[in-house]
Amino acid sequence: MFAQRKGKKSVSDKFRYRDWKTGLLMLLPAFVILFIFGTIPLIMAVYRSFQDYNTGLFVAFQNFSMVLSDVTFVQSFGNVFLMGAVCVVLMMSLSFLFAHLILKLPKKFGGIVKILIYIPCIISGVVTAIIYTFLMNYGGGLFTSILLSLGLDPIAFTKEGIWPYVCIIVPTVWGGLGYNTLIMLAGLLDIPKTYYEAAQLDGARKIDLMWHITVPCMRNYFVLMLVNLVTGYMQMLDIPYLITGGGPDNKTNTPALFLFSSFRDSSRTPNITIAGALLIMVLIVLINGVVFLVLRSRKSEAD
Amino acid sequence: MTNEKRARFAKYASKTAAIAAAAVITFIILFPLIWIVPSALKPRDELFSIPNHFFPQQATLENFSAVFTMTLNGYSYVRSLFVTAAVAAASTLLALSVNVVAGYAFARVEFRSRKVLWIYFIVSMFVPGITIQLTSIRVVSALGMINTPWVLILPGAANSYQIFFFRQFFLGIPSSIEEAATIDGCSRFRCFLNIALPISITPLIVLGVGHFMGSYNNYIWPVLTVSDNVYLTQVMQIIKLIESSLVSRYGYGIVIAATLISVLVPIAIFAAFQKKIIAGIAVTGLK
Repeated sequence: MFAQRKGKKSVSDKFRYRDWKTGLLMLLPAFVILFIFGTIPLIMAVYRSFQDYNTGLFVAFQNFSMVLSDVTFVQSFGNVFLMGAVCVVLMMSLSFLFAHLILKLPKKFGGIVKILIYIPCIISGVVTAIIYTFLMNYGGGLFTSILLSLGLDPIAFTKEGIWPYVCIIVPTVWGGLGYNTLIMLAGLLDIPKTYYEAAQLDGARKIDLMWHITVPCMRNYFVLMLVNLVTGYMQMLDIPYLITGGGPDNKTNTPALFLFSSFRDSSRTPNITIAGALLIMVLIVLINGVVFLVLRSRKSEAD
Repeated sequence: MTNEKRARFAKYASKTAAIAAAAVITFIILFPLIWIVPSALKPRDELFSIPNHFFPQQATLENFSAVFTMTLNGYSYVRSLFVTAAVAAASTLLALSVNVVAGYAFARVEFRSRKVLWIYFIVSMFVPGITIQLTSIRVVSALGMINTPWVLILPGAANSYQIFFFRQFFLGIPSSIEEAATIDGCSRFRCFLNIALPISITPLIVLGVGHFMGSYNNYIWPVLTVSDNVYLTQVMQIIKLIESSLVSRYGYGIVIAATLISVLVPIAIFAAFQKKIIAGIAVTGLK
């Protein structure tokens, strides 16, 4: 490759690449920072995950099998799949519907709604968790008070039945709904109006418009949103940490939370924790790969 | 005629229904944030009382005065708030300058290794923060950055997402002005500084506000790398406050007051730039 290029070196090539020094110099700061704080830690993580912590010897997949034999860790993946799946479904359907509703609003009012619903997205996960914890306080929070005034028994939201999951899912969806609605809205506005007009002239019903125009046109938006959400939810940490602490009985424990607490737990060596952290990355890449493959192949079918 | 009237009425009714529905949904979404305002004004015994009133029966500013005067581990909360905001601002400035330059180079300057470097940056997007967190701590401690503001500023500065969006932005604007300037003897870097940079205010604001919020709200990374000192972030202070003895003296109202004050900074910044941010999400969120 290099030799071929060298042979073709011409005046126009020289002109094209005349600024290569400036170009490399402009990339240098970003490259150095990314290499030191991104690539080196990743190489170290891969290296150490195959190494015994105490002896420094190469142990193949022993650290991985150690972390996978930990019931809590395996269980945390199940939890995050469950909660993440519910969050994804809720987030995508709610933002899709809400975006349609905003389209129907008069322009000025719609503009105000767009600004207001984005506010939760700029609040930190910690503050979100604190607010919801207080609202759900068993002894005398607002929700308990409402339940009592309706003649119902108070609920220990972070402990009883399926409520711990709800305690994680509601704040999580709340914190991202505004952003995703705005993205859905951008996607809907991207669809040329003429498509709908043409279809309506041919007598298409509303459901046909939705199924044959809106959904296919939004496919790219759906794929990217899905990838974003999956990547984010697989790393869910501060909301379960602060609201339920991963309990009860590890029901709401997540892999990221497991690693965060495992890091301070001396019974597990850091190298085992690092192996677990690499597994999360592998899983995120795999899931996103599947999402891409499935939705891409569907697209080529449609073409 | 009656048909037309009916159609017009139906249209009017559906519009009113949409407005009402949107108003209700927006109120529900904002409710948790609205709720903290009267709650911060409640005296200690009212916060978790049954029946729980939305508005305080006897409003008091006690919680706020406690937040403004208290110290945690020797550092006042208000000071932490300022330090966190300053660190976030510094980290935003550094990140923007590093990434806008890189994005410009990827969009405009041609050189042989560009494609390889581009792939390197794109691939780095797929490494989740949680995966490299533990070994990152090793790196920053080897560099002596633990417990300094640098640990909050430097590691996140190079951001492939930002580089990607800056590159897309520059690709979207015609390069003819810069070419004309080059013919007149303008160097590549001057082209960037004097022509490209002034027109990229919008992506700078949108990505900058995003970076600021991320830094200001960050919790897990500071917990792992900054222990008790002046660089304790405001979020860490709130968590420390919950665990402190001040809560048993003042009640949880003090936590809510601190939360309210902490939320004001992002809301003020958002209010200042909301038009650009809302318009920018459509662009930066995708493509």
